[in-house]
Amino acid sequence: MPEPDEQELGPQLADAFQSKAHTVQGLRDRGLAREARRRVHKRRQTLIAGSAAVVVAVAIGGVWGAIGAPSPIPTSTGDNQSSAQDSGGGTDSKNQPEAAASACPAQHPILTAAGHEAVAPGTGLDLDTPVFGFEACRYRLVEGEQLLLGSATFTATTARQVVDAIKVLPERNPSLPVFKCTAETARPKEAIVLRFDTATGIREIWVGYDGCASAGFFTGTRTYGLYAAPLNLFMKGGVRPVGGIYLDHLKGW
Amino acid sequence: MEAALAEAEAQSSAIDFESWVTEKADALLRFAYVLTGDHQLAEDAVQDALTTACARWGRVSQADDPEAYVKRMVVNAHISWWRRFRRREAPAAEPTRTAAAAPDGTASRADAEAVWALCATLPDKQRAAVVLRFYEELSYAEIAVLLHCAEATARSHVHRALAVLKNTLSKEGAEDA
Repeated sequence: MPEPDEQELGPQLADAFQSKAHTVQGLRDRGLAREARRRVHKRRQTLIAGSAAVVVAVAIGGVWGAIGAPSPIPTSTGDNQSSAQDSGGGTDSKNQPEAAASACPAQHPILTAAGHEAVAPGTGLDLDTPVFGFEACRYRLVEGEQLLLGSATFTATTARQVVDAIKVLPERNPSLPVFKCTAETARPKEAIVLRFDTATGIREIWVGYDGCASAGFFTGTRTYGLYAAPLNLFMKGGVRPVGGIYLDHLKGW
Repeated sequence: MEAALAEAEAQSSAIDFESWVTEKADALLRFAYVLTGDHQLAEDAVQDALTTACARWGRVSQADDPEAYVKRMVVNAHISWWRRFRRREAPAAEPTRTAAAAPDGTASRADAEAVWALCATLPDKQRAAVVLRFYEELSYAEIAVLLHCAEATARSHVHRALAVLKNTLSKEGAEDA
């Protein structure tokens, strides 16, 4: 049963709508159907052209990959840039099975995680596990603007150096300040995911250096403080941030 | 042979669509005009809905009520965020009665004008809910489906709109007196 307001105003509204609706004249012969068909035809043509472009791009990418050139994706190969420092890199690449295949995913769990500490159970790296190389993936975590900002690939030697540099660190770097945190500043604007190749698949360490709540290397089961030594091994090219709440207070990175 | 059959079927489908649009265009445009309150927006919404319908005419034409199906597309087109963005809708000012009550004889027409003008100040979803309720005479459950919301929300849209209209009309009525 209609409510009092509906009973009172309903007929007035219906009357107003009906009388206005009847003023709509002369729009009928404008070829609505013809225009609809034209638009559908145009959309389909655009779709076909777009699909063709994708097919061509994929084909070019495939050929590029087959002839062994570097990935056309705008990533940096961290060890290539640092090959002078990384003396064992050349021979080490033999021990790097399928390192190139473990590209940084555009949609990574860190983009939707509660924070850079929230490594999912079973995906974190046990630092005693042998590693054969890794990818460093830098993500923007800003709500609504989540994005892969850059990536770099590193050899097994660098991977071992990173793991060795992290595993000796204390749980917290006492030289870094403790911030008074608000909800707005607690959430990091970006973070880096280190994706290590291991015998059991990809295992990760999440690196937090922004957001006032916490910083360090997170494996899901252990936390290691934020220090410059491991950062310097992989913060290169597109994986090097311009700053961060904790990073700004860290010396030597 | 198969190609010829497919072509014949496509042609027949095109004719179906054309004749259906010819038959229903008036009703669709009237509905869209009541929904949007603007001739240009109404035409745009109907054209967009018909374009979508044309692309899937096979399915639309098999629906129980193709007209209702296309009207739903019109509503969706009207309340979609990008269309509102395109209109650059500014927050509406306090609703005011723009058509004054007229002497006997023209009073009901003036009231209709006033109600129409007040409806133009309602937010999109409230206006859509009111139009669906009093122009299309849909139930709240049907409105909720069309507006992608809970039945209680649809009811709330209508009642808020009615409260605003009632308040404004009674205020203006008191001033007129």
